Amino acid sequence: MLANILTITKKELKSYYNSPIAYIVKAVFLVFMSLWLFTVNQFIPRGIADLRIYFMMIPYVFIFFIPAITMRSWAEERKMGTEELLLTLPFKEYELVLGKFMAAFFLLVIMFCASLVLPVSLSALGDFEWGQIIAQYIGVILFGGACISVGLFVSSLSRNQIISFIFSALTLFLIIIISEVNRMIELPLVIGNFLNALSFNYHFEAFSRGLIDTRDIMYFVLVSGFFLYLNGKVLVFRKWL
Amino acid sequence: MIEVKNLGKNYGSCKAVKGVGFNVHNGEIVGLLGPNGAGKTTIMKILTGYLYPTFGTVMIDSKDVVDHANTIKAMIGYLPENSPLYTDLNVYEYLNFVADARHLVNEQRKERIQWVIDECGLKSVLYKNISELSKGFKQRAGLAQAMIHDPKILILDEPTTGLDPNQILDIRDLIKRMGKEKTTIISTHILQEVEAICNRVLILNEGEIVAQGTTEEIGKELKGEELLHLTLKVEDTGSVKQELVNCNNIEKVLVYEEQDKHRLKLKLSLKSHKDALEGIFDWTVSKGYKILAMVPEKISLEDIFIKLTREGGDNAR
Repeated sequence: MLANILTITKKELKSYYNSPIAYIVKAVFLVFMSLWLFTVNQFIPRGIADLRIYFMMIPYVFIFFIPAITMRSWAEERKMGTEELLLTLPFKEYELVLGKFMAAFFLLVIMFCASLVLPVSLSALGDFEWGQIIAQYIGVILFGGACISVGLFVSSLSRNQIISFIFSALTLFLIIIISEVNRMIELPLVIGNFLNALSFNYHFEAFSRGLIDTRDIMYFVLVSGFFLYLNGKVLVFRKWL
Repeated sequence: MIEVKNLGKNYGSCKAVKGVGFNVHNGEIVGLLGPNGAGKTTIMKILTGYLYPTFGTVMIDSKDVVDHANTIKAMIGYLPENSPLYTDLNVYEYLNFVADARHLVNEQRKERIQWVIDECGLKSVLYKNISELSKGFKQRAGLAQAMIHDPKILILDEPTTGLDPNQILDIRDLIKRMGKEKTTIISTHILQEVEAICNRVLILNEGEIVAQGTTEEIGKELKGEELLHLTLKVEDTGSVKQELVNCNNIEKVLVYEEQDKHRLKLKLSLKSHKDALEGIFDWTVSKGYKILAMVPEKISLEDIFIKLTREGGDNAR
């Protein structure tokens, strides 16, 4: 079972790294985030040893970066016909889905490992609260995992990478931003709380402030699981069509 | 080995396969023959577990393909239509992926990978990206993928499309060799291919089986009568005409042509019993005619195919 998942993950990672996508996504992400921190927000002149501003931006960056990673995963398989190969090899559907998830997740983790250079090199300049940074990193990884699940699910619905990208970005945008509705208009408390409970951003906020709340962890884990489950169902459902 | 019962598949309102049934026995090479859109590929997709049937059942080794998907997938080597491949991997990476997927390990894994590389002639392109391969090599990489785990059953969807004549011969040869120990189903719309490789043929048209059997069997069933071209040397052509009518092995004289005074060219339709041909020979001898040529007309698969599939098409219109 695990061996099957790893077989898929290995193949996916080979595909990612044999094509320029993985490198481009990573490079653009790191450059963009650094520009955001140092140029737009004037991190050094401001003189505050706090990366919150860096992590607050990440949800919005994910709207574009996660779909860029996940858009091809299923759409490309369907378009090239390799889906047929994959589904006729002795894999179970959930193994395929988890394999693909792990590959994209691995890419994300590598990306954030590279971004660790930032706090480490800045640590000479000021007193960072490492507990907060650890919480921020944990939050970002969980948050990214949930976004990847959404992206993979949307990708499984289409055979066109571009469409997959646009709809993943749109879906992520909605899920991430939905709690902002509360700030713009006065809503009854029940609805407001409900929107907050749905929103990625709301659950991420605590992490970016440095708080690790098990409810937030559970939220991201459940959302990831939910969309991966749907993804598996799509694969089975399509056999009936 | 493979039992298909009343199998049907609808794509929305389009009925791609309309209740077909057939068996494939151990070690047989069966050809699915039919024009494009006849349902060959759909049947193969159901056999391999890529699609579920709308109705009907497929049993492989007495196990249902829907309920025991993974056991059955492990037994099958499948080359889908157009040989889809991961174009951003190289051939070696690709074969390694499939070997992993097929749970090959250690010595056996090395052995099998080497075997398919040799057998499919992939050595020269092993470290090339698949996207850079020619159509022929892509097809071979697909075949290598299908055979890497030495499956009991090979299902090959149009394995020779897009290949040049030499490559076609190579691939057919390979399939034939493989087919000796495996149960094989290949689909094609190339008639010679079936005649060259298969023990048995299923002819499909518009989602239905219109004929099945060996090419000879189908031929006999279809033409219903046996035709014979006969050229005789006789003393006097005048008397022969009456004798022909009296001969009880001849159903009907289709062509009667006096080439000269002593030479007769005939096309006869024979009575349908198995000794008719022998009877004709004995009859000519007893009458003192000399046989210059005696050629039973063989119905070709091409004729069968055109007859069956055109007729179906006409009915539909």
